[in-house]
Amino acid sequence: MASATCQSAYCNQGWSEVLTHMSPYGFANFGIAFGLGLSVVGAAWGIWLTGSSLVGAAVKAPRIRSKNLIRRVWSGVDCWNSTAIYGVIMAIILANKVKKPEEAASSLSEDWDWAGYYYAGYGMFSSGLSVGLTNIASGVSVGIAGSSCAIGDAQDSSLFVKILIVEIFASALGIFGIIVGIIQSNSCTFPITALSG
Amino acid sequence: MATMATPAPKSTPGNMANFNILHGFAEALVRGMRSSFLADADYHHLTQCETLDDVRLNLSETDYGDALADMNTLIPTGLQKAAVEKLVTEFQYLRTQAIEPLSTFLDFITYEYMIENVMLLLKGTLSGRDINELIAQCHPLGMFKESTMRSIPTFESSPRGYQDLYQTVLVDTPVGPYFSLFLRETAGRSEVSNVLEEVEIEIIKSSLIKYWIEDFAQFVDSLGGETAIIMGDLLKVRADTNAINITLNSFGTPLNEPAMRASDRKRLYPALGHLYPAGTSMLADVSDEDELGRVLELFPQYSSIWNVHASGGSDGKSIDDAFYERDVQMLELAFEGQMHFGAFYAYVKLKEQEIRNLVWVSECILQQQKEEIHKFVPVFSFNAPWRAGAKKQGR
Repeated sequence: MASATCQSAYCNQGWSEVLTHMSPYGFANFGIAFGLGLSVVGAAWGIWLTGSSLVGAAVKAPRIRSKNLIRRVWSGVDCWNSTAIYGVIMAIILANKVKKPEEAASSLSEDWDWAGYYYAGYGMFSSGLSVGLTNIASGVSVGIAGSSCAIGDAQDSSLFVKILIVEIFASALGIFGIIVGIIQSNSCTFPITALSG
Repeated sequence: MATMATPAPKSTPGNMANFNILHGFAEALVRGMRSSFLADADYHHLTQCETLDDVRLNLSETDYGDALADMNTLIPTGLQKAAVEKLVTEFQYLRTQAIEPLSTFLDFITYEYMIENVMLLLKGTLSGRDINELIAQCHPLGMFKESTMRSIPTFESSPRGYQDLYQTVLVDTPVGPYFSLFLRETAGRSEVSNVLEEVEIEIIKSSLIKYWIEDFAQFVDSLGGETAIIMGDLLKVRADTNAINITLNSFGTPLNEPAMRASDRKRLYPALGHLYPAGTSMLADVSDEDELGRVLELFPQYSSIWNVHASGGSDGKSIDDAFYERDVQMLELAFEGQMHFGAFYAYVKLKEQEIRNLVWVSECILQQQKEEIHKFVPVFSFNAPWRAGAKKQGR
C-alpha cells in the first residue's frame, strides 16, 4: 500500500484534494467551457439525427425539398440554434462575471473574500453544467422528434405544424436549463479587491 | 435451432439516439417510398376501369407511371413484370445506400427469392422445360450469376445429384449454407424416402425456407432493440404460416402418411414462432383438416384465420386471402415504429401485395369478372378493418 501512496509534500491525496484545491477561476472557466461545449454537442446531435432523415425522406417526396423543406429546416435550425444560442448566451454571461483581482499579486491577502471567491467558482461551474446537460437532452430530443417530423411530413404535409409544436416542446427543455443557470450564476461575482475593514 | 449459417452482426443498429448515424438516410428513403403505395382512390379508379387501356391511363398518374411509360399494350403479365422490376430497382437503390448491419439484413430478404429460384429451376427441369424460359420466370431479386443460373438445371434430381449441385455450384452462393444443412440432415437418415420427385422438390424447398427463417430470426435477434421486437414478430408469424400451410398442403400427398408425418413433415416446421414448440408437435400428428382445425382452435390468432377456411370461404375468401390480410396488417405495423429495420422487409412484402392486387384487378378486367374485382387486400387503406377510418364509414 505504501508504495502506491505518494509520500511527497507535493503529491495530491486523491481526487477530493485536487478538486478542493482547484482555483475558483479554473472552476468558473470550466463552467463556461462545459456550458458552451455541451450545448453545441446537443445542437449538433439533433441536427444529424434529423438531417439524415430529412435528406432521405426528401428523395421520394421532392415536395418537402422546396418550400416546405426550407420552412422546416428553418424551424428546425431555429430549435437547434436556440439550443446552441442558450450555450452562447450562458457563456457570455458567465465570462463577464470572471474578473481578475485589481492588484495582481502572487498571493491573495488574508482579508480576501474567500467565501465569495469559492462560491463564485463553484456556482459558475454548476450553472455551466446545468445549461450544458439540459441542452444535450434538449438537442437529442429535438433531433429524434425532428427526424420523425421529417418522415411524417414527407407522407402528409398537414402533420408539419403539429409535429413542429412537439419539436418546440422539446426545445423548450433547454429553456429550463438556461433559466436555472442564470439564477444560479446571479449571485456569483468574483471579488476584485480585499474586503474593507 | 441449427447453428447460425450467417455470422452474427459485428454491430447493432443502435437505439433512438444513434440509429440515424449509419441508417438514418436509408430508413428515411424507405419511409419516403411508402408514399408510392397506391391509395384508396387509386384502387377505386382502377376497379372502375372497363379496359386495360383505362388501367394503364390510371396507373400513369401514380408512381407506376414511369415504369409503364414505354408499354404500348398493357397485359397482366407485362404489368407484373414491370412492377416487379420497379420494386427490384428500388430495392437495389436501398441496398447500395445500406451499410452493415443493414446490408446483411437486406441480403437476407433476397435469400428467400434465391431459394425460390433454385427450386424453380430444379422443378422446371424435372418437367423438361426450356432453361431460357425458366430463367425468365425467376424472381429478379434472387438472381445468381448467369453461369450459375445455367448450371443449376444440369444436375439430376437425386441425393447424389444434389450433393454435386451443392459442391460445384451452390457452395459459392449465399444460400449454400442452407443447402448444406439440408444435405447433412438427409445424409444422417437411411435411404427410406422413396417419395415422388415432385414431392421431394417441395420438401427441399420447405427445408431451405425453414433454415432461412431460422437463420434470419437468429440474425435479427442478435441485432437486438426495436428491430428484434418488430422483425422477430414478423418472422414468427411467417414461420407459423409456413407450418400451417405445409400441413394443409400435405393432405393427400405421401407426406401425410403416418410414417412420414413424424419423420419428414415435422422436420419442415420452423423451430420458432407462436406455434413452436407445443403447436408444431401437435401439428405433426394431424392427419386431416378437422384435426388441423382442432389444433388451431387452441391458438386464438390462428383460429379466426382457420375459420375462414373451415367455413368454405363464406365471402369467397380462401385461407391464403386470410393470411394475406393478416400479413398486411402486421407489415403495416412495422411502419408505425421508427429506427428499426423491419420497415425494409415490410416494404418489399407490401409492394409484393400491391403487385398481386394490380395483377388481380387487371386479370378481372381482362376476363370481364367485375364481381370478383374487389377481392384484394389494399395496402395502407383507410378502409381496412383494423383502421379507425373503417369505423367512421360504418364498416
